[in-house]
Amino acid sequence: MSTMANETERRQRIRRTAVVLGLVALAFYAGFIAMGVLNS
Amino acid sequence: MSATTTHDEHHDDHGPDKGIMRWITTTNHKDIGTLYLFFALAMLFVGGAMSLVIRAELFQPGLQFVNPDFFNQMTTMHALIMVFGMIMPAFVGFANWMVPMMIGAPDMALPRLNNWSFWILPFAGTMLLSTLFMDGGGPASGWTLYPPLVLQTGDALPFAIFAVHLLGVSSIMGAINIIVTIMNMRAPGMTLMKMPLFVWTWLITAYLLIAVMPVLAGGVTMLLTDAFFGTSFFQAAGGGDPVLFQHIFWFFGHPEVYIIILPAFGIISQIIPTFSRKPLFGNDSMIYATASIAFLSFIVWAHHMFTVGMPLAGQLFFMLSTMLIAVPTGVKVFNWTSTMWKGSLSFETPMLFALAFLFLFTIGGFSGLMLAIVPADFQYHDSYFVVAHFHYVLVPGALFGAIAGAYFWMPKWTGHMYNETLGKVHFWLSAIFVNVLFFPQHFLGLAGMPRRIPDYATQFADFNAISTIGAFGFGFTQLLFVYIVIKCVRGGEKATAQVWDGAEGLEWTVPSPAPYHTFEDAPEVR
Repeated sequence: MSTMANETERRQRIRRTAVVLGLVALAFYAGFIAMGVLNS
Repeated sequence: MSATTTHDEHHDDHGPDKGIMRWITTTNHKDIGTLYLFFALAMLFVGGAMSLVIRAELFQPGLQFVNPDFFNQMTTMHALIMVFGMIMPAFVGFANWMVPMMIGAPDMALPRLNNWSFWILPFAGTMLLSTLFMDGGGPASGWTLYPPLVLQTGDALPFAIFAVHLLGVSSIMGAINIIVTIMNMRAPGMTLMKMPLFVWTWLITAYLLIAVMPVLAGGVTMLLTDAFFGTSFFQAAGGGDPVLFQHIFWFFGHPEVYIIILPAFGIISQIIPTFSRKPLFGNDSMIYATASIAFLSFIVWAHHMFTVGMPLAGQLFFMLSTMLIAVPTGVKVFNWTSTMWKGSLSFETPMLFALAFLFLFTIGGFSGLMLAIVPADFQYHDSYFVVAHFHYVLVPGALFGAIAGAYFWMPKWTGHMYNETLGKVHFWLSAIFVNVLFFPQHFLGLAGMPRRIPDYATQFADFNAISTIGAFGFGFTQLLFVYIVIKCVRGGEKATAQVWDGAEGLEWTVPSPAPYHTFEDAPEVR
């Protein structure tokens, strides 16, 4: 039972980490375009 | 070095699907690693063929084979294919194969995303190559895609930009997968500081990828809107600034150099201790040096553009920060050398390539230091000296690292030993020809020959002829590598689980070839 709980928790952690990293990438993309807009 | 007390015994419960669908639908990290590695090998020859067009044209002064515009398309496509289609996918292939096995994980954390990351690549690569056949030809502005020149590209521009976006998406998804896997899938007892250096270098590389690939994507998106939607980010006529693109590009471009070389550092850090039969000297300092190199890579970008003009304070900052990178890089070179000191050395093919890496990458590093000096850079900029410098970093550096890794882990992947004699022939021919190819380019640059030109003054003829002979020698030598790989895949002496008597780590505890599923029950690492 605890192994399944651990596995569920690990899956949640994996999903959370992946989403956060994706958002970081998106922030760099949007941030640099925003910098270009402000600069022009 | 970590050790295991148990390892998976249930790995043959079910095997791979049969036929082509195995490769299209696979979510297995080993299959996807294999796909990446073969894709990279194919692209090595596509990009290599382009470099031979360039070198054939430069064999003697005057225009021989191609017109100047096509020559420029070749220099551009050669670089784009080699960077995004060959060397990066090659190291992602190594990561796919080895990272889960090295940390005791059954697979990558996000296997479907892994499949998607790979299968974007062939489409993006094909789209990029197809631009050569479009009206106006492919992009011809160099891989840096500087405006306003790149905005003169014909029909190919949006396709090339879309291809770069796709390649970036693939890299970012791969990087997310690697970080998530390393942070969440390590076997019990595999603490961060116990992780093998290859895993560490890939963890840091993946963070670099997530930080800088979107920056390139942002830059080329702005190019696209400048070309088709009437914006003026980079067009001086509309109030924009072309130099802004150079800043954006090199904010991506310099960390990109480390994205390419750090995994090679990781491979070399696995090979040298194995064939020295000693633990890696200064393991922790290697980790900190890698992290320092990654951090510094973000604050040196403008050394690529000293000649656009910048304040003296800016020149000094970027010159000194660039020179600072020599410190952690020096730590690495000294640690590798110290690992070999009083070791019980043997010189199998992976070790030979690793040693060549050590010597020749260091030459590339030293010429980089020369280029970091602002007044000297004003002389060298856009000359063949720069071409020689970065090819020493990328070919006997990154490519030799990848080849060394392929020889090192091929017995684990295939279950067979490669032909050692042929491997050594491959090494010696590669090591000789790579120097014949690139070393004379230092002299050409110092004598004033500009890069990216199809014709040149007659005083440059001799060194160009030598360089071209080296290029064809090096290119054809790599066909021998293909033969060795095919021969090894098809058969040969059976490889043991440990393969190399000095090898340590979880990947050497599973049989050779590594079973389709490994570590379904996590090993215990002490």
